[in-house]
Amino acid sequence: MNERSNPMRPLLGTLAGVKDLADDVKLFQIELNGQSFDYRPGQFAFVSAFGVGEAPFGLASTSGRTSQLEFAVNRIGTVTAALHSLEPGAIVGVRGPLGNSFPLDEMRGKNIVVLGGGIGGAPLRPVIHTILDRRTEYGKLTILWAARKPSLLVFTDEYDAWRSAPDTELHLTVDEGSPPWTGNVGLITQLLEQVAPSPENAAAIICGPPIMIKFVLLGLKKLGFADEQMIMTLEAKMKCGIGKCGRCNMGEIFVCLHGPVFSYTQVSRFLESFV
Amino acid sequence: MSDDIEEGIRVRARELLSLGEVGCVVGYERSPKGRIRPAFVYDAGDVHRLVWDQTCHHNLMVYLRERVAPSRTNEAAPRTAVVARPCDVRALNVLIHEGQVIREQVFVIGVACPGMLDGEGVAEHCQRCKERTPVFYDALVGRAPKVDVLDETWADVAGLEAMSPAERLAFWTREFDRCIRCYACRQACPGCYCFECLVEQVDPSWVSIAHKVPEKAFFHVMRAYHLAGRCVECHACDQACPMHIPLSLLNRKIAKEVKALFGYVAGGDPEIPPPLATFRKDEELPL
Amino acid sequence: MKAITREALTTWLDGLTGRYTLIAPRLVEGELLYRSVTASAEIVLEFRRTVLSPKTFFLPDTQVVLEVEKRGTETTLAEPEVVKEQVIIGVRPCDARGLRALDALLLDRPPADAYYAERREKTTLIGLACPRLWEDCFCTSLGGAPDDASDVDLMFYEGRTGYWLSVVTEKGAALVEGLRTEETEQALPASDISGERVPVLAPDGWSALFDDAYWQRLADRCLSCHACTYVCPTCRCFDVRDDTTAAGPGYAHIQRLRAWDSCMAAAYRRIAGGHNPRPSKAQRLRNRYYCKFCYSPIDFGAVACVGCGRCIAVCPVAIDITEMLADIQYPISST
Repeated sequence: MNERSNPMRPLLGTLAGVKDLADDVKLFQIELNGQSFDYRPGQFAFVSAFGVGEAPFGLASTSGRTSQLEFAVNRIGTVTAALHSLEPGAIVGVRGPLGNSFPLDEMRGKNIVVLGGGIGGAPLRPVIHTILDRRTEYGKLTILWAARKPSLLVFTDEYDAWRSAPDTELHLTVDEGSPPWTGNVGLITQLLEQVAPSPENAAAIICGPPIMIKFVLLGLKKLGFADEQMIMTLEAKMKCGIGKCGRCNMGEIFVCLHGPVFSYTQVSRFLESFV
Repeated sequence: MSDDIEEGIRVRARELLSLGEVGCVVGYERSPKGRIRPAFVYDAGDVHRLVWDQTCHHNLMVYLRERVAPSRTNEAAPRTAVVARPCDVRALNVLIHEGQVIREQVFVIGVACPGMLDGEGVAEHCQRCKERTPVFYDALVGRAPKVDVLDETWADVAGLEAMSPAERLAFWTREFDRCIRCYACRQACPGCYCFECLVEQVDPSWVSIAHKVPEKAFFHVMRAYHLAGRCVECHACDQACPMHIPLSLLNRKIAKEVKALFGYVAGGDPEIPPPLATFRKDEELPL
Repeated sequence: MKAITREALTTWLDGLTGRYTLIAPRLVEGELLYRSVTASAEIVLEFRRTVLSPKTFFLPDTQVVLEVEKRGTETTLAEPEVVKEQVIIGVRPCDARGLRALDALLLDRPPADAYYAERREKTTLIGLACPRLWEDCFCTSLGGAPDDASDVDLMFYEGRTGYWLSVVTEKGAALVEGLRTEETEQALPASDISGERVPVLAPDGWSALFDDAYWQRLADRCLSCHACTYVCPTCRCFDVRDDTTAAGPGYAHIQRLRAWDSCMAAAYRRIAGGHNPRPSKAQRLRNRYYCKFCYSPIDFGAVACVGCGRCIAVCPVAIDITEMLADIQYPISST
């Protein structure tokens, strides 16, 4: 069996760094021991806290920018709590890359609207990085970044870099503001109405809680975005990430195999609602 | 006698549904292949589906919580009628005491039960049953049958008690060996309604997911303990088990201890709550 | 055709027990189950359905997928012991056919499951034809037959004094080298395939029924136990969880376990944080049938049900898949 590739067997990695990203959210930077893998924005990996289990996380790093794998982990369950208790130097397991990726090649030349809610911003970060690193290949970049409150906004240390990139706008909003927040207060759907990006030669990429995605889709439709112009990444409970354990199906589609990135054209045909 | 009960259920169901007094009658029906199964009748025109005989062994109280649990009930929610044998009504008592079901939301069609048949005559646990009509009901069908009641001697448990610990371990190892952790026993039991069963809890992981005897034994023994003073000995668990494991023996042993300690039989009295689910400042037994 | 006396068969089977893990139907406290046997006398080949399919010998109800050892700052991973060659005798055609669905998902659609692949490779299947359909069986409605030898390596057909034997694959031929057989001119009686057929709807018919009120009605009595999925030859959903088997200062031994799970369980899709996309019994029951009759044909080109009837036999509340298939020919209403 050792000669055969075993997709259930993780690679071992060392936790190189842990950064506080937001309330109960940490950014884990993992250095794989020896081997590494190539991945594209939108893909995910399973991270193991040995002794507790493994869980899927979107890759928040960009393979062109760093050799480390970065994951934003929200402490909400057993595996995430175990990961949060780890210190740099700890050994973890990683299985990836899994799933499909955002169709960034097909989106070249288009105006991109990125909409991220809360920790949903994590898989969108490599999208923004890729566009910024290949700036002339893409049109206008409009980023709408939201969270329930200011302390839940992620990657705040990158906002200046995003804002100052050519032909790039960053709009932030929080559901509930509190001092010292002086920015926008309101839902991302309200922000979307205000910013009103044009659907002309545009593509929208959305990530966040299912209910946020649902209402953002409605908001984009109102602005004239067609089904195939709206791309989202979905989450589901997963145990294998390779289409075997049966759990993550939406009808005949498996989120881990056929997704997690889907266009609304695909999602609108799902028999089961993703919300 | 079963015919009278069956007819009585249909008449009552038709009345309740056509007057709009209940939204659903939960009873029994026969499948096209002749198997007895729970039935949910929503329309007065469908009451002919309802049957009753001495193989109606499901405890229908398992279906009440999802229909009439306090958190789900509002003024507009209709009542549910349920066909209930004496043991089923005792289970309902337990659920009412534990705040899981609102009494007013349930119409109990009580059955004067002659006992369940088990292929060799009336089942032993039914022969021991002292009540022939439920301890409470909203309507009664059938007449209290004249049956000789077997004295409660706990004879079934005596066999277990006579075994040495090693023999008892061997016995249960043999029985749990074929358990497949399907949880049919738990799901069929009206007393098991935890949102997340302890064996499925991940944090902490009390028991691994392995289908091995230690884990299976843990599940069954813990479940029996969690039913101490709450199990009404309806044997729905035995009936549900695809491997015919005599699960009720565990509950019977614990029931014997509860009777000796508290003089209590689960659900027997609408006024007296389960002793292990009740806190009194003045406990009768010294600690 | 080759034939073998009962005596020759038992002698041969006893010989196999030394070289292979021999698995056969055996009585376990009155229940007929596929279990490993050490002597042919334990084997029961009478015409009777086992409670479970032999699925567990390919996708075990419990298996260790990883052994993890942590010592100080070092962590090492190992994969479990290699599986011994297995021979399963008494495999009914429906159970063997069920492996097609497991193969399609676990082997053919990449990436292949290494554990399933190993067991599949190391197993020889000795089939046993059924003389007719058993109670609740409906293999003939789904393209199967009680004497279908397509999915086994050897097929036995019971006669009065022994068995007819058909060698189906090279693997089967290799196993019977040295088995004392006779050539017989006696014609093999065909299995009785009479019995009402159950209609099976095509996938697009299922899409149209997704929101039908029928699923709620059917699910009213469902208990959300795992019985139907565990006895099924084609169901394969599993759970993965770590279990610490030994721990001390600076040391831990962990097993990553994989075990059967069921899409019927309420918590099946519940994620940390509490959101559950399938909170109702009706949604889960509907998903189970759609998985078998709609999604599997779309994904793999074949229905994931072999008509073995086990789910019908074990369901505590008599939910009957054949009844459902007949009922949905006449949609009741929209919600």
